[in-house]
Amino acid sequence: MHADFPLPDVTWEPTREFWAGAVRGQLMITRCDACHRHVWYPEPPCRHCGAAHLTWTPVSGRGTLFSWSVLHYAWIPQFTEQLPFVTGLVALQEDPAVRVVSYIVDCAPDALRGDMPVQVVFRPLRYPGVAGEVIAPLFAPVGK
Amino acid sequence: MTGLDWGFASDLGDVSGAVAIVGIGDADYTKASGRTTQQIATQATERALDDAGLQPAAIDGLMYVPFSGDQLDAAAYHAHFGTTHPMWESTKGGGMVWAGSAPYDAALAIRSGQATYVLNTFSVAWATQRPQMVGGPGQVHAEDLYKQNLEVPFGWFPQPVYFATIARRHMHEFGTTPEQLGAIAVACRRHATLHPTAIMRHKPLSLDDYLRSPLIADPFRKEDCCLISDGGAAYIMTSLERARDLRQPIIAVLGVGVGNSRSGVYWSQQGAFTSTPQVFAAPSAFAMAGIGRHDVDVLACYDPFTIVSLMQIEDMGFCGKGDAGRFVEGDTLHYDSGKLPYNTHGGMLSHAYVLGIAHVVEIVRQLRHSAAAQVPDAQVGIYGGYTGPQASTLILGRR
Repeated sequence: MHADFPLPDVTWEPTREFWAGAVRGQLMITRCDACHRHVWYPEPPCRHCGAAHLTWTPVSGRGTLFSWSVLHYAWIPQFTEQLPFVTGLVALQEDPAVRVVSYIVDCAPDALRGDMPVQVVFRPLRYPGVAGEVIAPLFAPVGK
Repeated sequence: MTGLDWGFASDLGDVSGAVAIVGIGDADYTKASGRTTQQIATQATERALDDAGLQPAAIDGLMYVPFSGDQLDAAAYHAHFGTTHPMWESTKGGGMVWAGSAPYDAALAIRSGQATYVLNTFSVAWATQRPQMVGGPGQVHAEDLYKQNLEVPFGWFPQPVYFATIARRHMHEFGTTPEQLGAIAVACRRHATLHPTAIMRHKPLSLDDYLRSPLIADPFRKEDCCLISDGGAAYIMTSLERARDLRQPIIAVLGVGVGNSRSGVYWSQQGAFTSTPQVFAAPSAFAMAGIGRHDVDVLACYDPFTIVSLMQIEDMGFCGKGDAGRFVEGDTLHYDSGKLPYNTHGGMLSHAYVLGIAHVVEIVRQLRHSAAAQVPDAQVGIYGGYTGPQASTLILGRR
């Protein structure tokens, strides 16, 4: 485990552009050069056509709440202070087969509904006992 | 994703009737015990040899999976038993999906003369190791760099969170309820209270108890999640001809199936998010065995969480897709009054978290008619194995 765990290692090449995009205010997802479908996670080859090369592409940041869990228990101590929290999967508008894992924010847990529209917001992630912060794409209900 | 384009069945040759399980052994199932995985596996092996009436030198085939500490390989086997003979070895054994598919690979080895008596073992010491692990058994997931960089930073970790998210989606798509998940936990706990080696044997659980228990990863309560245990088990396979000369009733392998997802290894990206590859494994196993769902007397599935039981029951075809919630309500899964007796030892929720190997041992015991929560006159039993992108179906029958 790297020193900043559970923050991401923003220097790890395969996901570096995802985190660099968040700093710029862009949600970045990989897309196949050959068939132009989105491919997630950013690990070649393309799962649709087998082509070797994927390119990072900005997406709208709009999607729907595919599913989620409300956490009342922390399996690692760094998550304890933020309890309760909502983590889940957002299906992207550009291709609902791409599901981005993120926190769901600005919404009471009881108000969450399957397939509700959500949009990206960029906020810092911080964890107790871990130095620094990382700007990350989180999701909130549309209109919030 | 619709249709069946999201996965496929492995192409397995017909091994129906090629092998029988002739010896079974449980290691002690405990909370943290200070034991090593090899100590656990050798204890289970000694008991399986005793159960079969075989000497250590008779085992000439070993199956295990290189996972979760040191497993019982040939070097460890010989060191423990003081034997030196040649040993066929395969790493396609162990627990999880392989607890169900190992008999296929053993059958091929026995048929081709590479081995005569094949031992499959699996053990874990996660209760002992837990304080040193990140997120307990989540450690292996925390070490995956895609999960470490795209999931863990958002609190989507460890396994209870993955499967709570699957359960929530299953509820959204099919109307599955907490009471229905609870019916699975209650049936497993009732069976555990009847089982002499179940870790939860002294802790009965009613549906009211379940519903009053606090949510930990909504929609999951603690009772939806498996235990963390030290323990393991072993089983010995040989040809039906040799099985007839041994002391136990003959429990034959009737069918094996393996199903695979094409959506990679990450739960977040599974195309069929609320299905398991049992969709592909079960039909091939039933076809190999030449039997139908109505012929099944007892079922045991790899059950890290209630939702994994629920999905496998429907994906194996015991009810329609999405109908398992209604199917499992009430006493459906109970050993004495239910129409599909399920995890009659208590499963990983209430017996021990040894990743499926104890499930196979329990099915063998049911078919020998020596189980603690015995299903009357059980003739056909099934183990469903699962690892996420793979599933297996093992059909056993009393001869």
